[in-house]
Amino acid sequence: MQNIYEPIPVKIQKIEIYSGDVKLFRMAKLDGSPFPLNQNGLVFVPGQFVLAGLWGYGESPFGPASHPNDSSCIEVVVRKVGQVTSALHSLEEGDELTLRGPYGNGYPIDFFREKDVILITGGCGIPPIASLVEYIISNRSDFGEVNLLYGATTPEDLLMKERMNEWKRRINVTLTVDKPACNWDGNTGFVTDCLEHLKINSANTVVAMCGPGPMVDAIENLLNPMGIPDRRIFVSMERKMQCGVGRCQHCVCGDKYVCVDGPVFNLDEIDKAWDK
Amino acid sequence: MKILEEKRLNIFLDKLGKQAQLFDVRESILPPKRYFFPSREITFTFDKKSKSLSSQKAPKDFILFGISLKDLEAITYLDEIMQKPARDDFYFNKRDKSILIGLTGKEFNVAPGGDIILRKLKNDEYEVVVVTKKGEKFLKRLDFPFTCLPAGKEEKDRVEYKISKSKTMVELHGLLSDPELLHDAVKWSWQGYPEIWDKLAGECLNCGICTYVCPLCHCFSVEDEMDLSGDECRRCRKWDACTLPEFAKVAGGIGRPGHSFHKGVKERYYNWFYHKFVRGYLEFGKSQCVTCGRCKKYCPARIDIEEVLLEIMNRFKKIKN
Ligand SMILES: Cc1cc2nc3c(=O)[nH]c(=O)nc-3n(C[C@H](O)[C@H](O)[C@H](O)COP(=O)(O)OP(=O)(O)OC[C@H]3O[C@@H](n4cnc5c(N)ncnc54)[C@H](O)[C@@H]3O)c2cc1C
Ligand code: SF4
Ligand code: SF4
Ligand code: FES
Repeated sequence: MQNIYEPIPVKIQKIEIYSGDVKLFRMAKLDGSPFPLNQNGLVFVPGQFVLAGLWGYGESPFGPASHPNDSSCIEVVVRKVGQVTSALHSLEEGDELTLRGPYGNGYPIDFFREKDVILITGGCGIPPIASLVEYIISNRSDFGEVNLLYGATTPEDLLMKERMNEWKRRINVTLTVDKPACNWDGNTGFVTDCLEHLKINSANTVVAMCGPGPMVDAIENLLNPMGIPDRRIFVSMERKMQCGVGRCQHCVCGDKYVCVDGPVFNLDEIDKAWDK
Repeated sequence: MKILEEKRLNIFLDKLGKQAQLFDVRESILPPKRYFFPSREITFTFDKKSKSLSSQKAPKDFILFGISLKDLEAITYLDEIMQKPARDDFYFNKRDKSILIGLTGKEFNVAPGGDIILRKLKNDEYEVVVVTKKGEKFLKRLDFPFTCLPAGKEEKDRVEYKISKSKTMVELHGLLSDPELLHDAVKWSWQGYPEIWDKLAGECLNCGICTYVCPLCHCFSVEDEMDLSGDECRRCRKWDACTLPEFAKVAGGIGRPGHSFHKGVKERYYNWFYHKFVRGYLEFGKSQCVTCGRCKKYCPARIDIEEVLLEIMNRFKKIKN
């Protein structure tokens, strides 16, 4: 039996530079074998996370952005903010790193089925939402109306624009920026403004979010009056992570372990936490 | 009944030392958890040149001698913690190699764990109580000439169960018998009695000592180290403490300072209690405390968790009635 803390070696197949401090890494197993699948036949459930690491620098959690059915690779989008992420940014294609996971619970895709779905994200929160979009598009007829609202500071901060063009054919995509540039033809303003303009069937709508805390709070305040209760709003929580398996205590939030019980929670579960 | 006379204790220890590495923990400040979960341990070593990964090797057999009953209870509990939700190999590699020999003063008469317990009788003698198969095998192999008393005699000679008020946390021990009530009270106190947490936030020095000396605390962080040549990378696991300011701090984005999810002493100190008496209870059905009294004894701010819990409990009972 493998030690739960022992990572597997992987190789960087491809690096895409998204912006000055954001890169995508496509990782494959060293021996070229596929990643194992879970009971749903997926490499990971969108919203789950992996711990990607580099010997000598440590490990950090990332929500994979790749297609959850694609067992040939796992893609992570990494924003450079500290020690591990800077080390990852210094790597080149062909370099090796390590991977553990997938860990935690992702978005409850079975619960989403047959319902209208609103996906809301901002800034660097797009990766897990991207893999969820890929899943939904592959199973498009299982879902009702699907809206993606994605906001960023400037047009340059919007990631995955190429994939977005593909998505636009199958789901509604609304992009918005705080500071528009001259060639910008999308919206200006916060995602909250876009949300207010959406026509929704509140009785049959679920919401999946990944973004900064204040954005989540603002959206919760809008959705509740629109008739969407907290238990149908799913967010990916951020917490410090170390072990990833529910022991080290770094990621706790009230009664929950974000690494094991989350990182995706419905807002009802988290509202009761004293340290939400 | 096997008897060991107190004057022959040193001979016994000598003999133990010949069997396996012996650690006499009678006088130690740090709890025995450190033999299975050291304050710093290398978990993996990665050689960059050969690209080979080696994991920590299992140690040779070792004996811990003189563990108090409370610490034995704590080890039993830690065994459970390290098993859930997935088995912690680093802990069990060492735990499986250990023989635990408990030593009771004139305290309890129930054995909560350990392999062998030396139970104090009158007349400066210890009854040798074999608790596990592992202990039984070990004693056989040890082949020590214990004095043997005929069966039936022990009852008369056993020292009565008695705990002195000054030494042990008697009232806390009582509170622990109803961990659900303790759970309710501590959970209620965050909003129901915030004054106590404000007060403690003013006293606690964020030093983390209470967690290091606690036989049940097991927070850790993982850090990588490299040797000077840069070829060998070592992944280390280290004790961490939830009362330390960096514990729940994450990196911010560019232009955004780091953010801590437990920003103040108040949140951090409450989280320590919350883990022991609320989350711990929900996970394991009991509080994560064995009333060993170390946290109180070694806290430089002299914070006494027994007093804190009694205060919360009194207030809680008054309000609920
Ligand atoms: C579930 C989850 C999914 C994430 N997905 C992504 C993603 O797809 N892309 C992305 O760029 N970032 C993501 N993050 C944030 C990312 O993990 C942190 O930016 C990263 O850990 C910072 O590490 P560092 O070593 O560069 O920073 P340092 O400040 O040097 O951090 C040292 C250590 O602290 C811990 N740590 C620090 N910040 C965080 C944090 N924000 N979250 C959790 N642990 C942290 C890590 O264990 C890290 O190794 C995610 C975080 C979580 C919790
Ligand atoms: S030992 Fe005392 S001062 Fe130090 S962190 Fe614990 S409670 Fe605070
Ligand atoms: S008394 Fe303090 S140190 Fe001892 S088990 Fe309880 S919390 Fe831990
Ligand atoms: S990351 Fe260690 S308990 Fe969640």
